[in-house]
Amino acid sequence: MDRLLPLIQNETLKIWKKKRFFVVLLVLLVLIPIFTYAQMKIAQTNNKNFKDWRNQLVQQINEYQNMLSSDRIPEEWKRQRRIAVQQLQYYLDHNVNPNSPNGVTFTRSFMSNAVTLFYPLLVLAVASDLVSGERSTGTIKMLLTRPVRRWKILFSKLVALIFYVSLTVVASAILCYLISGAVFGYGGWKMPVFTGFEINGSTVESTYVHAVPQWLFVLMEGGLIWVSSMTVAILALMVSVLVRSTAASIVTMMAAIIAGTILSSMSSSWESAKYIFAVNLQLTDYLAGSPPPIQGMTLSFSLIILAIWAAAGLFVSFRVFTKQDIMN
Amino acid sequence: MSRKSSNGLWRAIGISALASTIVLLAGFGYAVKDMIAPQASTYKGEPAAEPAPPAEETSLSNSKSITVAAIGDSLTKGTGDSTGEGYVKQVVALLKSKYSDIPVRLGNNLALNGLRADQLAHLLSTDKGYRYALQQANLIIFTIGGNDLFQIASGGSTNQSKGDISLEQVKAELPKGIERFKKVVTLIHDINPKAQVVYAGLYNPFFDLADMRDGSLQVQKWNEEAYTIMHQYPNMTMVPTFDLFERTIGTYLSNDHFHPNHDGYGQIAKRIVQSLE
Repeated sequence: MDRLLPLIQNETLKIWKKKRFFVVLLVLLVLIPIFTYAQMKIAQTNNKNFKDWRNQLVQQINEYQNMLSSDRIPEEWKRQRRIAVQQLQYYLDHNVNPNSPNGVTFTRSFMSNAVTLFYPLLVLAVASDLVSGERSTGTIKMLLTRPVRRWKILFSKLVALIFYVSLTVVASAILCYLISGAVFGYGGWKMPVFTGFEINGSTVESTYVHAVPQWLFVLMEGGLIWVSSMTVAILALMVSVLVRSTAASIVTMMAAIIAGTILSSMSSSWESAKYIFAVNLQLTDYLAGSPPPIQGMTLSFSLIILAIWAAAGLFVSFRVFTKQDIMN
Repeated sequence: MSRKSSNGLWRAIGISALASTIVLLAGFGYAVKDMIAPQASTYKGEPAAEPAPPAEETSLSNSKSITVAAIGDSLTKGTGDSTGEGYVKQVVALLKSKYSDIPVRLGNNLALNGLRADQLAHLLSTDKGYRYALQQANLIIFTIGGNDLFQIASGGSTNQSKGDISLEQVKAELPKGIERFKKVVTLIHDINPKAQVVYAGLYNPFFDLADMRDGSLQVQKWNEEAYTIMHQYPNMTMVPTFDLFERTIGTYLSNDHFHPNHDGYGQIAKRIVQSLE
């Protein structure tokens, strides 16, 4: 343990002083009010048009059903709609409002919408220049000439990275709750959310459906987001070891993640795309019971794929970092 | 920054990050446990959806407010109306001017394209959403039967299936369709016996095709039987639409040659509102 803790402290403070985490917070502080405002507008329209949430839900189910009868809609969409209809029907049958407007519900839906693009982006803000940044400023020489094993240096960077990923996820949840709560109220902790929908083809199996209080749901979401963000973070660390410039490292990772998002929306025809890490990032979907991007994907499958990518990323990072010659 | 304050900063970041990590890991662990080994537990739920106050009066003008519920097939959906209003929204607009002193609102329009009477009966008996929407309404408007009679699977494909509609088929479908219609009316009455119910009768969209012109006779038969069924309930009434789509087919029918256009729906809406007191 000797010298490891001071190293971690050093790396953590370095990231802090580079003000990357402030950027993350600033982005959240700007974006969350915008989404809150949009959500408020939607709620106002719904209040005007519908007597209560049941009417609204009934109408939503009806709209999906009408889409199902249209010949123009691709089969893949219909499958998703069919699943959504059955889930909404489940909520209606149990007299639970799936979207009751409050701070916790907003946080829940914000987090699950942000998992594929927004969180990876925030993570990249911290992770992408961990090593490449030292190269471009030349400080890497100073770092490596100290009498410390190289793996310890990279390891301390990794721990600092884990710290900031955790802080990002938690800070986003807290900010979401505080900001949206000011508009929608701070309630909703105990509201039941259904989870455990099993999807077989286009039918929903509800044998294992059970209600969890919303605070627990948000906590589970946070855990899953943390895992997918950590995978992105580790891969970004790897890229920043491999690539000299920070800009190149951000672009590489961003391209991979955006490609994954596009693939998951069109990949029903290309099944082996499910082995790409970026297609597996949306772990929260399994929790809510939304159909996976490619048929046959499950939570365990995605977790294994992400774990393999992360392990490979760590292996490459440590291998290259400890062996490569530093010249610049 | 002095050594001391940087130590304090490190402690603050370190501790909160560590706490966050532990919380998130716990959440992750719980999520995995919850999803990989799910436990079936039935959710007892809130007390069942309490039906909102149904209509207290039989006459709309005496009510405190008017809530409209619309169910049925593509006609109620408004297919063919390029403005998207259909007859339902035009009815609501006309009601607003007719009963200007009480609030009028559309509760739900639950029409489905291509719906047949047997499917509607199924929805009415099983779907809680339908029951809920109908129970809180004091005016229920509906159309059904067109798809039963003309055997058209979906509102979007009327043009393709027009070719294979024969008069014989229409004749054969009529008694079956009427049985289903009876079921629908009974169910509506069971769900909400107090609301005003208006049914817009059928018309023959193929009046201008020589070999389908006699289809109008079948349509009339349907309308007559439908009226007989609804006549048993004093709160129900039926408005005719067949005359709108005979000589004026070009004015009131939309391009798909099956559904009314905006003006056609407007005429139906006027008739529905005229029938209400």
